[in-house]
Amino acid sequence: MIELQERTRRISPSRLHEILLRYGCSSVVDPFMGLPTHLNFLKRHGIAVHGGDLLEWFVRVGEGIVVNDLTILRDSEVAEIVEMLPGRIYSLDMFKAWEGVFFSEEQCVYLGVWHDNVRNLRSDGQTGLAILGLWRAFCYWLQKTQNPDDMQDIPPSELAWSYIRQTEQWVIANMRRNTVRQTDVLSTINAQRADALFLSPPARNSFRSADARIWMWEAWWQGNPYFTIEHAYRDSLFGARAADPPAYARAIASVLSAAESYPVIVVQTTEQRIGDIEAIVRNARPNVEIVAPHPYETYLIATK
Amino acid sequence: MKLMTLFQDTVGDPRTAAARLAGVLGLYGAVGDAACGNPPGFAAQKAATAVSLASVAGIDGADRDALYFAGVLHAIGAVGNAAYRKGERLSERMARMETWDVPAQGARVCLEIAALPEQTADFVRWQAECWDGTGYPDQLRWHGIPAPAVILSLADATARSGDPEEALASIALQAGRAFGPDTSRIFAMWLHSFGGEVETAEPPLDVLRADDAATAALLDLVANRVDAHNGVSGRWQRVARLTDLAAESLGLSARDRESLAIAVRLYGAGDIGSRDDGESSFDPLARLAIDERAAHALAAAALLDGNDALAGAAPILRARAEWFDGTGKPNALFKNAIPMGAAILSAAIAYEALEHKDRIDTAAGTQFDPKVVRAILEAARSRA
Repeated sequence: MIELQERTRRISPSRLHEILLRYGCSSVVDPFMGLPTHLNFLKRHGIAVHGGDLLEWFVRVGEGIVVNDLTILRDSEVAEIVEMLPGRIYSLDMFKAWEGVFFSEEQCVYLGVWHDNVRNLRSDGQTGLAILGLWRAFCYWLQKTQNPDDMQDIPPSELAWSYIRQTEQWVIANMRRNTVRQTDVLSTINAQRADALFLSPPARNSFRSADARIWMWEAWWQGNPYFTIEHAYRDSLFGARAADPPAYARAIASVLSAAESYPVIVVQTTEQRIGDIEAIVRNARPNVEIVAPHPYETYLIATK
Repeated sequence: MKLMTLFQDTVGDPRTAAARLAGVLGLYGAVGDAACGNPPGFAAQKAATAVSLASVAGIDGADRDALYFAGVLHAIGAVGNAAYRKGERLSERMARMETWDVPAQGARVCLEIAALPEQTADFVRWQAECWDGTGYPDQLRWHGIPAPAVILSLADATARSGDPEEALASIALQAGRAFGPDTSRIFAMWLHSFGGEVETAEPPLDVLRADDAATAALLDLVANRVDAHNGVSGRWQRVARLTDLAAESLGLSARDRESLAIAVRLYGAGDIGSRDDGESSFDPLARLAIDERAAHALAAAALLDGNDALAGAAPILRARAEWFDGTGKPNALFKNAIPMGAAILSAAIAYEALEHKDRIDTAAGTQFDPKVVRAILEAARSRA
């Protein structure tokens, strides 16, 4: 049985939007974007958004719901993702390592089929939408291993179909240039100029307790069931080198230092961690406003 | 000219002030429901169900009180939302996206109402989030959705279904998708404990930081948002300037004048649910739109059903499509049987809508009481 975390990072894009509007920001960079549904929200409300992350599947999803302005998935195209197509050779054993541990044989076969099918889509936009829809089906399966009697048995293709169709609804244009990139935090910050920088930095050593629903999907996308999240973060700023408190503080300070040209920096943290973060932010910027609507949702808004 | 100050009679009485504020909040909730097409009384039912479910889910104290008001105000974001606004012509796709913003817009309004418990805004904001992250507006997922917001979502499903057993089946079907995998257990426990019966919940008045000036300002806010929604911004103030003066010159009592002032702020809410331009596209002196006007009058009065704090305005709203000669609707009231407030309101509405103001004279004695027409004309002259 895999453990699914109860603590989940909460980003409220509607609240972030309110903050950005209050500070007159019409563009934002998020170098720790994670699953970029919040950037999709901001895009829908006319903000130019730029995101970055080290995990490739987050970036691919960003290409579907952040960069992509037009491309959608039609019914026939969704059908070509969720089911095995005649005449195509599939690597059905690709996720056999997960069989019996996390998933049934049928589910592992489908994971292999989906892995191959999404790589045959016509555009990055479609690929991103499909990855997000399939991820939701994957999360459903993982949850069902914990609550087998509470949740419905839904055929894999039907489940994937409904979720992929849903992602298509989020495609929207904002007549601005929006980007996502797979790179580390400092590169993202330096690659873009925007009115605001939104930082939701990972907690210290968080990569060691990453949510299975996140790292396993990167493993799926890479086609490597033995992939580990430590691998992805190995040489990154918030990887093992930032394991102790002083190193972690230095990492945060270096991010804020690199962000000097941004007029507004919004740092999201929690009531529990604000003690560590606030001093660093105040050291970097003279004016800091704290908005703390909830213990798990505290914003430090730093201006020059 | 300064408009009449509302709620002068309860200054210094916190309990009455809180009850009055709760009445205005209830009204706002009803207007929100009307704007997005929910049946009358839906908000009150949702609030009562949420409070009842909260007792089973172990939510109490401040969260439970906030949950009540979040239930009442759940749809206020629909007032002014582009998906429902009068005259908007959006594609189905764009309209759907606009509806995703209703909870966040509602939360913003809740934040403006200082008297509400703090948590109310966030419960409204996250009431439509889904466990699997496909909800709106924030696409929160899993345990990132606060438990009271989940309860509000359950209450919504229950109130919409009407039959608790059916609701249980649909919630169980959505386990792991719209709702958490074990959410249906909370609902089942509630169903077994209470049999699906929901008693009317009394508003927790003690938690409201009420004062009458703020309540009056809130009523003005409702009126402003209703007019903006209907594409007639500032209309109620123009009408109120006439009715305030006319009511004074015709010698209405302070209580009747206050009821009229409330009715002026609310009559526009009667056609908030219709998507076309409504009665404003008709000549206010023509009989052509009388059915529509009467329907809007009844709808506006129905918003005050069970609302003791504002009940005095209901007869005025209900009778504002009656004609002085007894040929009006819905009850064909004749001359003095029409409440004076309603006679003043209907004449003021027509006067405000007329392009050539003098034409109102032609309706004196038929549609309007001649002495009311004179008072309105005097009010208009003195205003000028």
